[in-house]
Amino acid sequence: MTGLRRLFSPLQIGSLRLDNRIVFSAHLTNYAVDGLPSEQHAAYYEARARSGVGLIITEEHSTHPTDWPYEKMIHAFKPEVLDGYRLITDRVHDQGVPILAQINHNGGQGSGMYSRLPVWAPSPVADPLFREAPMAVGEAEIDEIAAGYALVAGRCIEGGFDGVELQCSHSSIVRQFLSGAVNRRTDRYGGSIHNRLRFLRRIVSAVREALSGEPVLGVRLCGDELLDGGIRIEEAVEAARILERDGLIDYINTSIGSATSTLYMIEASMHVPPGYSLFIPSAISAAVDLPVIGVGRFKDPLQAERALEEGHCDAVGIVRGQIADADFTAKAKSGRTEEIRLCLSCNQECVGRVGLNRWLGCIESPRTGRERRPPASPAAVPKRVLVAGGGPAGLQTALAAGRRGHRVTVLERSERPGGAVMTAASAPGRAEFGDLVRNQLIECRLAGVDIRTGVTADLETVEEFAPDEVVVATGSRPADPWWMTDDTRVGAAHVTQVLDGSVSPEGRVVVVDDQGFHGAAGAAELLAARECRTTVITSMMVVGQGLGTTLDMENWNRRAARAGIEQMTDLVVMGLTDEGVSVLHHPTGAQSVIPADWVVMDLTPRAEDGLYRQLRGAGRHPHRVGDCLAPRRAHAAVIDGDRVGSLL
Amino acid sequence: MIAGAGLKLFSSWRLGDRTAPNRVLFGPHPTNLGAGRSLSERHLAYYRRRAEGGCGAVITEEMTVHPSDWPYERAPDVFESEAALGRVAAAVQRCGGLLIAAVGHSGLQGSSAYSQRELWAPSPVPDPVSRECPKEMEPEDIEEVLAGFARAAAVIRRSGADGVEVNAGQHSLIRQFLSGLTNQRSDDYGTDRTLLARRVVERVRGAQGGGIVGMRLCCDEFAPWAGITPEAAAEIAASLAPDLDYIAVTVGSIFTPGAARPDGHTPPGFSIELARSIKQAVGDAAAVIAQGSIVTAEQAEAALSEGLDGVEMTRAQIADPDLVRKTIAGEQPRPCVLCNQLCMSRDPRNPIVSCAVEPSAGRETEDPDWHRPSARPREVTVIGGGPAGMEAARVAAVRGHRVRLLEASDRCGGALEQASRLPGRERFALFAQWQERRLEELGVEVETGVRAEDPPGGAGPAELIICAGGVPKPPSFEVAEGAVVLSAAEVLSGAEIEGEGVVVWDPIGAWEGVGAAEVLARRGRVTMVSPDPVIGRDLARTGDLAPANTRLQSAGVRLIKGAQVVRAGPGEVKITYLYSDRTEVLAASALVDADHRLPAPIPEAWKGAVRAGDCVAPRTVAEAVLEGRRAVLEMESR
Repeated sequence: MTGLRRLFSPLQIGSLRLDNRIVFSAHLTNYAVDGLPSEQHAAYYEARARSGVGLIITEEHSTHPTDWPYEKMIHAFKPEVLDGYRLITDRVHDQGVPILAQINHNGGQGSGMYSRLPVWAPSPVADPLFREAPMAVGEAEIDEIAAGYALVAGRCIEGGFDGVELQCSHSSIVRQFLSGAVNRRTDRYGGSIHNRLRFLRRIVSAVREALSGEPVLGVRLCGDELLDGGIRIEEAVEAARILERDGLIDYINTSIGSATSTLYMIEASMHVPPGYSLFIPSAISAAVDLPVIGVGRFKDPLQAERALEEGHCDAVGIVRGQIADADFTAKAKSGRTEEIRLCLSCNQECVGRVGLNRWLGCIESPRTGRERRPPASPAAVPKRVLVAGGGPAGLQTALAAGRRGHRVTVLERSERPGGAVMTAASAPGRAEFGDLVRNQLIECRLAGVDIRTGVTADLETVEEFAPDEVVVATGSRPADPWWMTDDTRVGAAHVTQVLDGSVSPEGRVVVVDDQGFHGAAGAAELLAARECRTTVITSMMVVGQGLGTTLDMENWNRRAARAGIEQMTDLVVMGLTDEGVSVLHHPTGAQSVIPADWVVMDLTPRAEDGLYRQLRGAGRHPHRVGDCLAPRRAHAAVIDGDRVGSLL
Repeated sequence: MIAGAGLKLFSSWRLGDRTAPNRVLFGPHPTNLGAGRSLSERHLAYYRRRAEGGCGAVITEEMTVHPSDWPYERAPDVFESEAALGRVAAAVQRCGGLLIAAVGHSGLQGSSAYSQRELWAPSPVPDPVSRECPKEMEPEDIEEVLAGFARAAAVIRRSGADGVEVNAGQHSLIRQFLSGLTNQRSDDYGTDRTLLARRVVERVRGAQGGGIVGMRLCCDEFAPWAGITPEAAAEIAASLAPDLDYIAVTVGSIFTPGAARPDGHTPPGFSIELARSIKQAVGDAAAVIAQGSIVTAEQAEAALSEGLDGVEMTRAQIADPDLVRKTIAGEQPRPCVLCNQLCMSRDPRNPIVSCAVEPSAGRETEDPDWHRPSARPREVTVIGGGPAGMEAARVAAVRGHRVRLLEASDRCGGALEQASRLPGRERFALFAQWQERRLEELGVEVETGVRAEDPPGGAGPAELIICAGGVPKPPSFEVAEGAVVLSAAEVLSGAEIEGEGVVVWDPIGAWEGVGAAEVLARRGRVTMVSPDPVIGRDLARTGDLAPANTRLQSAGVRLIKGAQVVRAGPGEVKITYLYSDRTEVLAASALVDADHRLPAPIPEAWKGAVRAGDCVAPRTVAEAVLEGRRAVLEMESR
């Protein structure tokens, strides 16, 4: 830990002394059951506490029945939450780690879908995501909201929390009051920054009164809403100064963006550089003496150390880094930084799942979201396991089996392991996706897995090896579509061939997006950068339809516009002519030809299941994982591999 | 309106070895009422309410028969539902109805999100919506699913339900085996695509040993190049019928998931002709049940007169659980408006099934009995004759209050009237008429043409219910002198636009902007501008997203996505593209603003009175109706 001196120095926040400066800050999990905190919450936070994180701040708890924007929200306005609170706080405290509850009212950033009530907001301005016209609150409702915060804050302390954090940022009525973009009030709560801050100060004083004494009270401020007319850093700094002067809070946490309009910059994907929002804590800590927490895609302890070293902040929020690896803090502290399972910032199974109302998981950590499940036990009888294929499924199988004491050998046909993941990681801006394989290889090494590259597993090799168990993880191969023909001057290639460099299209290129994810978008960017005139077409209503859930859509569209990539929707490819790609516009039935020299296709691949069939034919009982079972995304490969590797 | 017990619709009939009191069925549909993956007390209350209203046979939400199928979070699992199913069956049977348990497997149209396992399908053909490639089922997988159907049938029999319905309609593995679109196998299950369906029926029948066995069968996939056609379906139906007690005829494939329950853009009863052709092929071997937007007793009776045996009136009974009882008594049921706004529950947000005109549907265990007499009747004045005001007035009158309703315009209806002018939403007018008729029957004093600003004749805030609706919002963009800017409501009210070219600015993506563009496209060139990557974003839940885009593009409407209007000028509209900051000036004689509305301002004298609907916050009919009801109870409590 020599290199992480500041990160592992203690920090005083109000009455709390933190062991180190790593904060597991608030984020939605969808682990609540019927509005109450659950066993899963407790297990999830406990796992990060066991690693020794400095401070945990839970996901938001709602302070009022009008606030129910997503189904699995914690309804702290109900007294029944107390049992769950104690479950969480006892487990975390048993590990010697302090824990705060974040309390909130989402205001206009919600709908009546679950509550069957009008949503409340400073002004009758509909939220850009929920698009439900809210009711502008009057003095009576403001009193009710403040009372709700105070009640819930008291309940949190009763439930064992060491304090509370007020969300005034991502999705909060407090931020809406602070924001010139949506606060259109003409009374004492609107207009100048002092008036817009009145609501927060009112809540701070109500909550401080309810907390009385010891417990910690923090606020999480938005430093830049990234909206026209919205909060800018100068206003955030002014707010921080006034709050410090009031003397009722113990720390300031920071954030960037608004959850329902600029979420893609809050939970930025790998296309946005780490530390992109450090200017916010930097400006605030320059203005106040209170401890300030910085956030913004920190996934590596060295980045965090550097942010502290450079004086941007006093502590660092690391969320996705600890979603991917619950042992992040322990590994960093003991100098095993290389062993940290680095977050990819792919957003597929954390943000992406939560956005779809599903429980929080992680693309590369099968235990995230399943912390209650006992870890796989050591194998009673160590077996010789042969894994055919060193892609993500094969590697995950190998590391899961190897950890349990099996003697595992992986045979990989190509010269390097990683399979489809490494191809995907070679698209522009996608290099961090390759960390999935980097992480697996390190875990394989620790588990004593023998990886042999350049060896093709066929029936003969398997028979020769005579394993106790054989797992087929041979992946998938691109498949030509029904409309493919040799009778054309138009060149044809699969996206994977463009990404791995085996084919280099030139001139006018039509990219066919049939999968709706990074493949077509990435290939298009690569080709446009090589000065191809690039058009992406899809039969769907949107190019890259899956990029919305991972928060990649906005920045993809910006990059595409900048690169001059044209996007066309509702088009079904009917064939190739000498002039280009023949398409049918399915809503109208209109047919046309898009001029092209090349067509590049991102289509459903075909399972490479030849070896599996041969082994079955030979009377063996092989297991099958990943794309050779059904070609899917990387998470499916990891989950398949973990399941099979844990059961061998 | 037709009335009376004399209709064939209300004659009892023999269904398998059971007798149903009438020929009206409540079809299977996702509800999200489940507790985990079990049917729940909420299911029980929901189904019992329809049985109390006289429904002849309730078919439950489909339950899955195998762990490889977890299509949506609260999709019931038949093995986890055994106890609850027994209670549901008993409750429905006590009301005189039959209870049939629907079972199935979604195959490639399921979801891997909850099980975190691969999807199973006849062939590795991805679903066009999820784009997830399924696993080609191995022979042992098929055997497992068959065993699942058999075990499910045994569970259902033990529970005391009257029968089993096997899904071979939408979201169905069996349909995927029947169809050339999704079955590309070369084994016995591919050379004979009906093999799986036959085996399922055999196994279910064998395990069932008494009770009804029915099948929901897709009879047109609207994909004639490889899918099930009506002709092929007739053959399939005829071959399966001898082992079935009934076939419920439905439509739709992987490309048309919403086709079986479309909204009002598709004419009611659209599948009756198809069902009749299936009946001809099946003859007396099995009963044939028609399905598909059949919302009136007239249409249902007509279907029966054409030889069909039963009629599913699902959404009609979500809108009014007393449909059967009321129709027999000569009363008018609350009309389903075919809006699909709240009854479509297959959505990742897990909305509970409900109804825009009957928001207590699906909420049977939590909502009060709105119609109980009040302990202290009083003189009540309702301001505003839109959906909220009319509902408040109706409920207040039913509870015994003396009610006066004041409407500023010359007729009641408010936002319903506007909505009914949108293509496909004409039926909203029926709901307004229904409410007006009830007010008349209940003796509510309705005064139209009374300006909201006028003091309402001495009524104090304690007896007032304000339902004054919404007003247009000032534009969010610059308006230059000489620019013509209209609200969508003005267009729908028939405002004349002179000159060529209209731009519709739709920052919401719901029915209003899309509908206004459709109306305007009949008279000339229209461009729609939306900030979203798709036009009509919020139509996804109603099933109208893809159909709306097809209609707009077929009508020649230019769709500009990812852009916003920044300025309306004389003869032109300036827009900015959100991702490039590029601007474009569109030639347009007028701009139609389909943005949100604001609550109508409330005069000082009425502050403190109970409010409901759009004058609280302009939303939809559902909130208006619910808050209209709540306002009455709240007023009473003051």
